[in-house]
Amino acid sequence: MMANMKTMFDLNQIDSQGGNVNVAINEQPIAAKNALEVRDLNFFYGSFQGLKNINLDIEEGKVTAFIGPSGCGKSTLLRTLNRMYDLYPGQRAEGTINFYGQNILEPAQDLNLLRSRIGMVFQKPTPFPMSIYENIAFGVRLYEKLSRSEMDERVEWALNKAALWNEAKDKLNQSGLSLSGGQQQRLCIARGVAVKPSVILLDEPTSALDPISTGKIEELINELKHEYTIAIVTHNMQQAARVSDYTAYMYLGSLIEYGKTDEIFIKPKRKETEDYITGRFG
Amino acid sequence: MSDKHLSSQFDVDLNSLSSRLLEMGGLVESQISTAMRAFTQMDLDTCNVVIENEKLVNDLEIQIDMDCVEVIARRQPIARDLRLVMAVSKAITNLERAGDEAERVAKRTKRLIESGAPHNINVAEIRLSGQMAISLLRRSLDAFARLDTIAAAAVVEEDRQIDEEFRAFVRKLISYMMEDPHTITTGLDMLTIAKAIERIGDHAKNIAEFVIYVAKGSDVRHIPHEDLVREANK
Amino acid sequence: MKNASNINLAIFAKRKRTNKIGLALSMSAMVLGMFFLSWILGILLFKGFSSIDLSLFTASTPAPGSEGGGLANAIVGSLMLVGCCTLISTPIGVLAGIYLSEYGDRSRIASVTRFVTDIMLSAPSIVIGLFVYALVVTTFKHFSGWAGTVALALIAIPVVVRTTENMLRLVPGSLREAAYALGAPKWKVAFMITLRAAQSGVMTGILLSLARVSGETAPLLFTALNNQFFSTNMNAPMANLPVVIFQFAMSPYDNWVDLAWAGALLITIAVLGLNILARVVFREKVQA
Repeated sequence: MMANMKTMFDLNQIDSQGGNVNVAINEQPIAAKNALEVRDLNFFYGSFQGLKNINLDIEEGKVTAFIGPSGCGKSTLLRTLNRMYDLYPGQRAEGTINFYGQNILEPAQDLNLLRSRIGMVFQKPTPFPMSIYENIAFGVRLYEKLSRSEMDERVEWALNKAALWNEAKDKLNQSGLSLSGGQQQRLCIARGVAVKPSVILLDEPTSALDPISTGKIEELINELKHEYTIAIVTHNMQQAARVSDYTAYMYLGSLIEYGKTDEIFIKPKRKETEDYITGRFG
Repeated sequence: MSDKHLSSQFDVDLNSLSSRLLEMGGLVESQISTAMRAFTQMDLDTCNVVIENEKLVNDLEIQIDMDCVEVIARRQPIARDLRLVMAVSKAITNLERAGDEAERVAKRTKRLIESGAPHNINVAEIRLSGQMAISLLRRSLDAFARLDTIAAAAVVEEDRQIDEEFRAFVRKLISYMMEDPHTITTGLDMLTIAKAIERIGDHAKNIAEFVIYVAKGSDVRHIPHEDLVREANK
Repeated sequence: MKNASNINLAIFAKRKRTNKIGLALSMSAMVLGMFFLSWILGILLFKGFSSIDLSLFTASTPAPGSEGGGLANAIVGSLMLVGCCTLISTPIGVLAGIYLSEYGDRSRIASVTRFVTDIMLSAPSIVIGLFVYALVVTTFKHFSGWAGTVALALIAIPVVVRTTENMLRLVPGSLREAAYALGAPKWKVAFMITLRAAQSGVMTGILLSLARVSGETAPLLFTALNNQFFSTNMNAPMANLPVVIFQFAMSPYDNWVDLAWAGALLITIAVLGLNILARVVFREKVQA
């Protein structure tokens, strides 16, 4: 089961600087591959159905945005992708979610391992009550054994990826809580990136931040997407237009329209989509 | 889901853009009519009226363009709203140039009057295509107001007729000028006037193409006519 | 005031009056409380301070009728009893608190545990003392420091369980989710993240439980009893401050009465100190 997932196998191939070793120089361009394939997904909060028959693909190496009014199910959908709902009794999902061919909704799926491969950053920045260094090392130590110097490199690499290294390098031993809101959120992103997942899920990552921090994180997403698959839930449509390659519009638990972001925002196929994005929601 | 935005001010702004476009269209229409009347009646005063009012057309273009930019800055429109703003911005350029053509007709007519040379050229074609051009412009603006893509496709089709008329007139003019070289100066002025009318028809066609762009989202400029009709009928 | 045309001045005046009355009432309640507290402290200081000297800490309790003496054995005994109690009650209490907050939550065992904890929190300490007497002292046929420790632990554990659970519950769920999202197993989330986030609150709970058991007399009466001499043998009766105070306070000997006051002062200072320490620790963390 483990060997099929794009998982621990990859960890061995990547050195601590994040570069790929043994990569063929003359690679043929690969056809677009799906990191996640959702098929006939239905989700229930007790007896209330939160997701209705969702079918969609999340392409590898691209940013997919989920938009829709409150209660449409976009966060619910995101949380099924890393089985976060499993923490709460009474919530259940039916259907299939294929992660590189592996159905992650199977009961036999190891949840902790899954979540190390599909990471999540939440709306509210949640630094752990430890030093900045420990915040990042915590996740890494869960599944990797690194020497002190290797860990130092990994922490520096992750903070660089989150564009936080310059601001944090002199206070790695200070509590994560001593950072500003925008910095804390970037710390959370660094934490998520440090364990080198294949997919990063972002649940309204900039809702609680000011415009400048928001801009920095959007820029971050733009750089991260070259190496990671990213799915982002946002209630800010301009943000979806700015950062994503694909956009999915959801309403009352159903997927209304899904397509390339440029098409959705210039010429959407469904009237419901156009009404929502142009603010004609009456 | 209604057609109104959550922000009623946004509705007001967009509607105002459309209505100002139609206002400018009306002004340009009257300019063309007046220029044609000046030509038909060879009346100097009427020519001057057209030439003076040209300034109003230019001012409107600048104002409406500024309105478009303001809407974009304030509202960040997307999808159909964005297409509407872009289309208005481009359509007023076409209208302004159509206004220039009307002025050109008036100026050449004025030159004809002032030169005083008599001529025997039958200008029925010019009068006819002038009326067709005005009708086409009116119908294209009408289609814009109602976002009626079928009517717009018809405008595109009929612009061809103006082009045909123009070509016919050119052939006639050439033979006439070959017979009597003294009429060449007059003939060239006539040619300019005919060409101006033909261009007005083209501008009307462009506006009709924008109608299809706003309503259907397809850019139908420079594509074969059958494809345009298909997009319009979707 | 400009633009205040919609404000009804009568309602405003009435509200101000009510505010003043409420304020006056709460201030008087506070003054009343502070008055009695200050009175108690004042009397303790007045009566006990004069007996505080070096011999208090070096000499053991005097025999009936003899002169001088100190509280050395009682102080050491109390320290040992409370210390051993903490060593037992802290792990049990914290782990139980973690179970209730992180694992059991809605299970049958958890609700029963909470119920029992609540009862034990308000159980009369003398009953607990008698219980331990019947269980431990009669079994081993003698009083001992260990029996005393068990009795104190039975009082301290519910306090620690309650505060630990409450402090852990205050940790926002988003923090736990963030840890789970990295792939951390449940026990790591509970111990390395949640507990750590609540650590100052949990420590406060432990300190408060210490403060509570420092002054408990009744349970020790039947378990550790008392010891006239200096002893560190937990298997035998152990001297401790509360019982010494009990014994000496109503005695006819002057030096015994003086020592009782001094002992009372010492206990009060210790409890006060622990409470203040707990507050200082908690406040620091909250501001960080």
